[in-house]
Amino acid sequence: MSFPLESFVNSVKTLSSQGNLSCLYEFLENSSEMLSKNTTHLEAALSSLELGQHSLGILALLLARFKAGAGEPATLDRQMAEFVEGCAVDQIRYAPDSYAELCHLYTKKLLERSKAIKGLRVLQQAIAKIQASPNQLTSIHADLCHLALSAKCFRPALDVLDVDIADISKENGKFESRHLLLYYYYGGLIYTAVKQFERALFCFEIYFSVPSLSLSHIMVEAFKKHILLTLILRVEAPPPKHCYSEVARTTMGRRIRPFCVPYVELATAFAQRSPEPLLAVVTRHQEQFARDQNTGLVKQVVASHNKMNIQRLTKTFVTLSLSDVASRAQLPSAQKAELHVLGMIEEGEIFAAIDQRDGMVRFQDSPEQYAAPEMVARLERELAQIMALERRLQQLDEEIQLEPQYVQKATKTQHEDDSGQACSSSQNNKVANNIM
Amino acid sequence: MGTRGRVIAQSRRFPDEPLTVPQPALEPMQIDAAPEENDNSVEEPVTEVMTACIDLDSYIASYKGLGQLYRLMFIAERCPPLRVEALKMAIELVQSTFNVTMYQTLHRQLQEALASGQSLPDVTGQGGGSAGALPLLDQQWVESQTKRAALKLEKLDNDLKNYKSNSIKESIRRGHDDLGDHYLDCGDLSNALKCYSRARDYCTSGKHMIHVCLNVIKVSAHMQQWGHVSSYVTKAESTHDENESAPWRESVQTKLHLAAGLLRLRHGAFELAAKSFLKCSFDHCDLPELISPSNVAVYGGLCALATYSRAQLKTDVIGSASFKLFLELEPQLRDALHRFHESSYADCLRMLDEMRDTLLLDLHLSRYVRQLYAMIRNRGLVQYFSTGALNLQIIIIIIIIIIIIIIIIIIIIIIIIIIIIIIIIIIIIIIIIIIIIIIIIIISSSEVGNLRKMAAAFNTTVPELENELMGLILDGQIQARIDSHNKILYAKSVDQRSQTFERSLAVGKEYIKQTRGLILRAAIQASQIAVRLPRREDIQPMDASQDGTE
Repeated sequence: MSFPLESFVNSVKTLSSQGNLSCLYEFLENSSEMLSKNTTHLEAALSSLELGQHSLGILALLLARFKAGAGEPATLDRQMAEFVEGCAVDQIRYAPDSYAELCHLYTKKLLERSKAIKGLRVLQQAIAKIQASPNQLTSIHADLCHLALSAKCFRPALDVLDVDIADISKENGKFESRHLLLYYYYGGLIYTAVKQFERALFCFEIYFSVPSLSLSHIMVEAFKKHILLTLILRVEAPPPKHCYSEVARTTMGRRIRPFCVPYVELATAFAQRSPEPLLAVVTRHQEQFARDQNTGLVKQVVASHNKMNIQRLTKTFVTLSLSDVASRAQLPSAQKAELHVLGMIEEGEIFAAIDQRDGMVRFQDSPEQYAAPEMVARLERELAQIMALERRLQQLDEEIQLEPQYVQKATKTQHEDDSGQACSSSQNNKVANNIM
Repeated sequence: MGTRGRVIAQSRRFPDEPLTVPQPALEPMQIDAAPEENDNSVEEPVTEVMTACIDLDSYIASYKGLGQLYRLMFIAERCPPLRVEALKMAIELVQSTFNVTMYQTLHRQLQEALASGQSLPDVTGQGGGSAGALPLLDQQWVESQTKRAALKLEKLDNDLKNYKSNSIKESIRRGHDDLGDHYLDCGDLSNALKCYSRARDYCTSGKHMIHVCLNVIKVSAHMQQWGHVSSYVTKAESTHDENESAPWRESVQTKLHLAAGLLRLRHGAFELAAKSFLKCSFDHCDLPELISPSNVAVYGGLCALATYSRAQLKTDVIGSASFKLFLELEPQLRDALHRFHESSYADCLRMLDEMRDTLLLDLHLSRYVRQLYAMIRNRGLVQYFSTGALNLQIIIIIIIIIIIIIIIIIIIIIIIIIIIIIIIIIIIIIIIIIIIIIIIIIISSSEVGNLRKMAAAFNTTVPELENELMGLILDGQIQARIDSHNKILYAKSVDQRSQTFERSLAVGKEYIKQTRGLILRAAIQASQIAVRLPRREDIQPMDASQDGTE
């Protein structure tokens, strides 16, 4: 072991034993350059430190190793897993940025070797360790989602995604908007993959509410997916009312729109009843869709258009022959129409019965009477959810009201009668009040 | 809507295309193929009317001045059979004015019309048969008229200068007015407008003000500047002059109503237009430059038909004493209105179809005919359906009344225990019940929801009717559903309870979503994250391979 490393190990040991962790953190920050120069002896240094007591030191050493890319990948993986498993939470909380960086690097390595599935467990654990509360967002979230996407194994990511984010870890100023955007972009993709379109839509809508001074590629891609999903779900996309003023949102839309002309065209064609314009747009922009890797979603949009036409029929007809269904929904044949109707009945999108004898479809109203115990349970569940959210809002409101900055500003504005310069937190407060 | 018998339509660009070759083998096309665009800035394809039965002489007699000319030109443009006749008439009329440019254009058009008429005599046969040789362009007349116009202009200009130097307001105003009249005579609309509006500064009384406003309205209407018309109508309406006699005021009111009605018609606000036209008084309807009384009847009647409810139609249109006088001028429309009110829609629609050709040749109404007809038809369908629902209610009410009567009678029976009376009463009851049953049978025999009957009532086929109804149901104008198998239209029963549940669940869902977004947004704000210009170039288009498609 070379001399500088030896002294490094010693100082880590002494500082750790003294419990002077912030000092240690600074020391590690300063010594990172030295570590990167002595990559060959890191192995020895690592072995001389104890995981439970010197987590910060090990973190720094591992980081240096990952940066250098030295060593057997398998050993690195093992060490990483051990570290995440055994590190002391109170220590690593002092260096969340290095911790996050280590995870980023680890992810990158795994992706390079396309062994994404290996890292899922590790990262899940890593997130659980560093989080101050389960609703905290860290930059590692995005890595986890990325790995899940690559591995096509969504369960671990879904566990994380299903938790509502209410707080964002600052990670000593290293948390970038990129991480947030990527997390929600990947999250949207994962939800789309498991066909939870509504949650996916929510993820893609986040982009409307992130303050932005410029446009990122992620936002453009998300906007494209957002358009496709609204078409698949056949919802009028009410861009989220919360958080953003109308003006900001429209200008936002205007800025993104030029980048997604084919998608906007698709949306306009979708609004028409006949499928020809839609198909024309699809074939015309086939290449672009393929380049964006959205072909599958576009196909689903076309299917959704057919469904929309059939659903329209249920609103106007009590009975209709299959051939009429085909001609009115502009499907090629009665057989095709039957298939579509059958599919929709099975999915519970329409309520109908097909009479094979005379080829008639009988459309019925929804049989849901809202009288079953399940419905009551569902209502109660949703009410509880809403009340929890309500409490959360209340809490946020109180937090803001107690913030010295806000109090200062509020009293000042009262004195000067000047409300134009209200700080962002007071704006938040206003929004919070509005929605309640 | 179905094919409309005699009308042969062709899509064309309006107006500058010289109407050279009216093809002999025009495709008979559904007249309402494309939806109407009622935006003034957009020129829609124009339909040509091949058969029309208008007596031009009497038609044009109810207009004056430029109104006559424009209407004739419009007819010439739209109706090839009448083209030559209309143009000749217009030339005759224009020769009594100073409008030299108009004379020249008309003459050129006539030349072209005759040339094309000779090459294809079968089209313009009826109209061009008596045309004879091409009248020569009267160069001498042109020169002399130009000269005279210039002289008159000079004189008026001088007069105006004199008045101005004397600074007598009234004279200056008159000077401006005269100058405006002269420009109008010469067909120079923009200068006329300038002169008329200049006169505004020299008005001394409300009467003069209104005079100016009316002048401006007329000229702007000729220039198709409806924005101007609207502002001057409001201006004139806000000007009051207490000194004037009631009849004069009423006549001004009517003129303003006419202008406002025309304006709203051109803006496609049919209900407001109908209101304006219905307010006009017949005795004072005097704006021959723009509109004739029979126009008022047609415009007002059609707009009301398209937008008014049945009750409104009864009280405001059919029951209105003043509008009745207008309607007398257009007996066909009057009958159509009555038929509509009597719910014999097939007759009404047939009558309206008969009028369609004439209406398509109307300068102002032409472009809205299709839209208005579609609206009237839809209204008919809605009413047909709603009156059906009404009948059901009546039956229920009658049944309730029967029950009440029986109960009352039973009570009476208990009180008065005189057998004879009982017998008499029972007889009466039996008679009443029989009568009521007969009434019910009569009512229920007119089965409302039967699509076949409905199709017959609307002069159309069942599939087409289904399509129309489908549109109306989707628009939410009719609460019903169609049984395509048995061809019956069912009224839709709305389950309030489940609807409430549905709606509240949706609202709850939305609220949860919004609140989540809000909390997240607050978190983003709190940690001051914003998308800024990237410091590094490493934000790449992402791995988007998983779009949930496999």
